[in-house]
Amino acid sequence: MTESIDSGTRIKPGTDLYAEVSDLLLREADALDNYRYDEWLGMLTEDVTYVMPVRTSQFLTDGKGFHGDATFFSDDRESLTTRVRRLETEFAWAETPPSRTRHFISNVLVHEREDGELGVRSSFMITRTRQDHGYQMFTGERQDRLRRGEDGELRFAGRVILPDQTVITATNLSVLF
Amino acid sequence: MSENPTTLPTQLGGGEDLAALVNVDDGLISRRIFTDPAIFELEKERIFGRAWFFVGHETEIPEPGDLVARPVGMDPGILVRDDEGEIRVLLNSCRHRGMRVCRTDRENARFLRCPYHGWVYKTSGELVSAAAESHYGPDELRKEEFGLIQAAQVDQIQGLIFATWDPEAPPLQEYLGDMAYYLDLVFGRTDGGLEVVGTPQVWEVDTAWKFGTDNYTDNYHVFSTHHSLVDLGMLPNDPDFASHGHMIDAGNGHVLHFVQGPPDDEEFRAFGLPEELREQMRRNLPPDKLQIAEPSGISVGTVWPTFHYMHLQSSDVIDGKQEPFMNLRMEEPISPTRTRMWAWFMVDRTASPEFKRRSQECYVRTFGPAGLFDQDDMENWEDCTRANMGPAARRYTLHHRMGVDREPISDWPGPGRVWADSYGEMTQRAWYGQWLRQMQGE
Repeated sequence: MTESIDSGTRIKPGTDLYAEVSDLLLREADALDNYRYDEWLGMLTEDVTYVMPVRTSQFLTDGKGFHGDATFFSDDRESLTTRVRRLETEFAWAETPPSRTRHFISNVLVHEREDGELGVRSSFMITRTRQDHGYQMFTGERQDRLRRGEDGELRFAGRVILPDQTVITATNLSVLF
Repeated sequence: MSENPTTLPTQLGGGEDLAALVNVDDGLISRRIFTDPAIFELEKERIFGRAWFFVGHETEIPEPGDLVARPVGMDPGILVRDDEGEIRVLLNSCRHRGMRVCRTDRENARFLRCPYHGWVYKTSGELVSAAAESHYGPDELRKEEFGLIQAAQVDQIQGLIFATWDPEAPPLQEYLGDMAYYLDLVFGRTDGGLEVVGTPQVWEVDTAWKFGTDNYTDNYHVFSTHHSLVDLGMLPNDPDFASHGHMIDAGNGHVLHFVQGPPDDEEFRAFGLPEELREQMRRNLPPDKLQIAEPSGISVGTVWPTFHYMHLQSSDVIDGKQEPFMNLRMEEPISPTRTRMWAWFMVDRTASPEFKRRSQECYVRTFGPAGLFDQDDMENWEDCTRANMGPAARRYTLHHRMGVDREPISDWPGPGRVWADSYGEMTQRAWYGQWLRQMQGE
């Protein structure tokens, strides 16, 4: 996965394009942390794919621990929209009352491919607290494909979320990554 | 392995009789049994040292040397197909200092080498060498005695591999009793059976393990717990909708249910399988089993104590089409209030690639830790655990009384005690009855 997301021309920090990508990542994190889910959906392309594979502990010679096709998320725009509409009901108990999350995004590497899509690799740390429970934390890597729409805006066309944990130490995955 | 103690105390340190905590006939069960550390300690010996536990499916280890690290009850195990092709379950612990010898979740191995002092085992468990072996005198190492500890018994049904640490436990077929009939029905319906796709989802929840087992034989919660999906039109807006089914006590704590749809619903039948798989099912199942399978839309079952299959169907998006999926579940207790959850996705081996893809997609969107349904179940179990722990709360009972006066039916084609209403706590009471018998050392 890493190879394809890093293909093309490296876009370095300090360039306008890198700043535009960074700004999108920050605005996305802000929308998710402040329950502005429709704004978040607006940052996704119509054909967006959103996948979190299951990680296993394996020898490095066997890869990075992504065995076969098991996933935690395997979503598209329609199913992500369903997730958002669910959160808006009064009965999505896992998030009613809602968790407090904070998306920390760093280590952003940007590449521009020949077809114009941008490959963006970043690290995430997401903290979550809900009710009076202690912290739950998710860390990992996101591999995003960004595409510019006809309106000139960059949007997420694909996201692969690579969790660091093989055993997710959290009640559930009712937060968005 | 040391012998099992033959006499077990039936009273806790405070002198209370376990039977006073679990009143199966009245459906009143003490909150204490869920979170009390003393009871958890007894469970380790009397349940997790003695029962049969699911460890994996044969399709997860197709080749010699294939292995997966899996708990067997509460002990770390290795499920391996050895050099001779035999399936073995080993304790993942070197005989020297107890170090873990398998340190991945899965690999293909010829040998298991302990990192600590370099003891090396074959995948059959046999100890073949130790580092600097010449420093042992001729009778000191005793390789033939100190192979990896093997599960006392390993057996399978429909490719589902179970193991127990108890040499005195009844053989698997006898242990399963009437449940074997239903596992053959659900897993043996299509040519070649079902296969595991990928690797299990694993996550840890702050819940007492029995809130999980309780929930897997509970239809009553669906309308309320999963009401967000009623709100979105993905479940019927009818509080009775999951009640049109049959609950079965298959004996020895094994329980299950089949839920049937309305007679005019062609989709909510035959587990929602596509036509080509229904044809196989009609060919593979004898008439009595087919009579159960044909009108059933879903089935969920428990092999006592911690293995569950959930053969469900659901749409995964608003206004979507329902797809069926098979999900295996297991609880691995970590402490009285923390449990590791295991979830496998399975699909019929001979299904079309498109059905396999859609079935898995529908599973992962609706079940597992990110699933639209499952997310809310875990929320319940955590808050049940927290609210049942206090010194005042644990003086009181929980209410499992629905159906205590209900009579079983006699015109069901399969074995077991069967009730014609899938809202009811008959199966939970059967599970807790077995819990009590096991905890009393029976």
